Amino acid sequence: MPNVWIAGAGMTRIGRRSERLGDLMADAAHAALAAAGRERPDFIIVATMNPEEFVGDGNFASNIATHMGFAETPALRVETATSSGAAALYAGVAQVAANLHRTVLVVGGEKMTHLPTPRVSEIIGRSIDPYERAYGATMPALAGLVTRALMARRGVSAREIAQVAVKNHANAARNPYAHFQQPVTLEEVMESRMVADPLRLLHCCPISDGAAAVVLTSERAAVKVAGIGQGADALAVRHRNDVTHFRATRDAARAAFAMAGFGPARIDFAEIHDAFAPFELISLEDLGLVPAGKAGRATMDGETALDGRLPINPSGGLKGRGHPLAATGLAQVVECVWQLTGRGGQRQVQGSVALAHSIGGLATNNWVTILEAA
Amino acid sequence: MIETIEASRCPRCDAVVAPPATWCPWHPVPMTPTAVRGVGQVVSFTTLHAAPEGFRSPLHIAIVELEGGARFVCHGAETRGLRIGSIVSIEAIDNIYYFAHMGAMERARLFWRRAGHAGDRVNAIARSLAKRIVKGRADAAS
Repeated sequence: MPNVWIAGAGMTRIGRRSERLGDLMADAAHAALAAAGRERPDFIIVATMNPEEFVGDGNFASNIATHMGFAETPALRVETATSSGAAALYAGVAQVAANLHRTVLVVGGEKMTHLPTPRVSEIIGRSIDPYERAYGATMPALAGLVTRALMARRGVSAREIAQVAVKNHANAARNPYAHFQQPVTLEEVMESRMVADPLRLLHCCPISDGAAAVVLTSERAAVKVAGIGQGADALAVRHRNDVTHFRATRDAARAAFAMAGFGPARIDFAEIHDAFAPFELISLEDLGLVPAGKAGRATMDGETALDGRLPINPSGGLKGRGHPLAATGLAQVVECVWQLTGRGGQRQVQGSVALAHSIGGLATNNWVTILEAA
Repeated sequence: MIETIEASRCPRCDAVVAPPATWCPWHPVPMTPTAVRGVGQVVSFTTLHAAPEGFRSPLHIAIVELEGGARFVCHGAETRGLRIGSIVSIEAIDNIYYFAHMGAMERARLFWRRAGHAGDRVNAIARSLAKRIVKGRADAAS
């Protein structure tokens, strides 16, 4: 277990934001530093998935560091597609664990809503295997392929998938930082427009702007990083023998639990990468939080609801809180830190051990982080 | 007409990928060129209702596991009646690959070529007929 603590966490409200990306990231970073009681870090790690295309800026670590008032603080940028925030956290944890730096600021953000949806989809689609992309595969298309196989081969029902969206919207409605503030009904989800058969609009996360940040330290603080792990898989979805689970999640979980020195039974609540509602069901099983084949049932029975045995996505998840790409992996960690320190507001859950799970690309670069109230 | 699709094989793990790759995705060794028959089983499929620029909506996309092992991504003209596990043939039109339900004659030809012993053939024909009758009843009922 690395001796790394989270001294402070901060994030912006997620949604359609008029501010510039730099301002959103500065707001999150300054909030995290204030919560940590520190004015400046020794090192900055920046996560953005594609600022070159979304906002037209490069050399982004220096860009952000200078913009937020740390022009002379060393900074680097980390990118693993949609899991960039979690990857940046890993880089920060490694730095502190290796005694390279004592206080590391990790900040992630993305600004997308100023572009038309097809353009956003195109930019996100850069993370897909070029051959599959040449056949028109977008993230929803690949998720549609996964979902159909999941339903046909694992017997997951449309109601079970829809219930994930209903639950996460309900949680988001209690979270002032969430993109969506309105609950949805099972019928609304099941009758929403078809996007990539059998995936419907309300199964998919929105396009959001926002930023999130944490301050890592080698000094004891309220929340400890108990374990962090990465898992990988082939870029091409067609190269996988089984598309109904994600190898990258299983490997990431194995690594994170090995570092923590305990297993999934100790997890009290989790933030899971539900960019598409069925991914929450797949991930619950890949993470070992629910026995194989039981995720749909557990969801229908309310086990994963805010007042259930194992609350999943108290923040509302990507579905409800929103998914500003590189901010997401860190926004999950911010939520876990807030929950672990009793700052969950109307959505407070009980527990001392939390898990955050982030998917990069179509599950090619996944991360699991385990946090423990110290 | 069944296409021959260019692919590559890993000399280390025997994995076959299509289209061909320079390196095996799982081993740092160069792949050897090979070819696979454009016929296989549907692994999954979807219909994209908001296709990206340059494509017409609705866009049908499938992953097909080809005979010979490679899994292949292609388009299709329609998905009516298509299921996971359906046998499809792959056709190239202007260098773009499309899956198509196999016609009765094509399926029969494929079937005769595959079936080894006469006994197996008779059994298989019986199974196929039984399946068709059951399916016919189910269709009539619904």
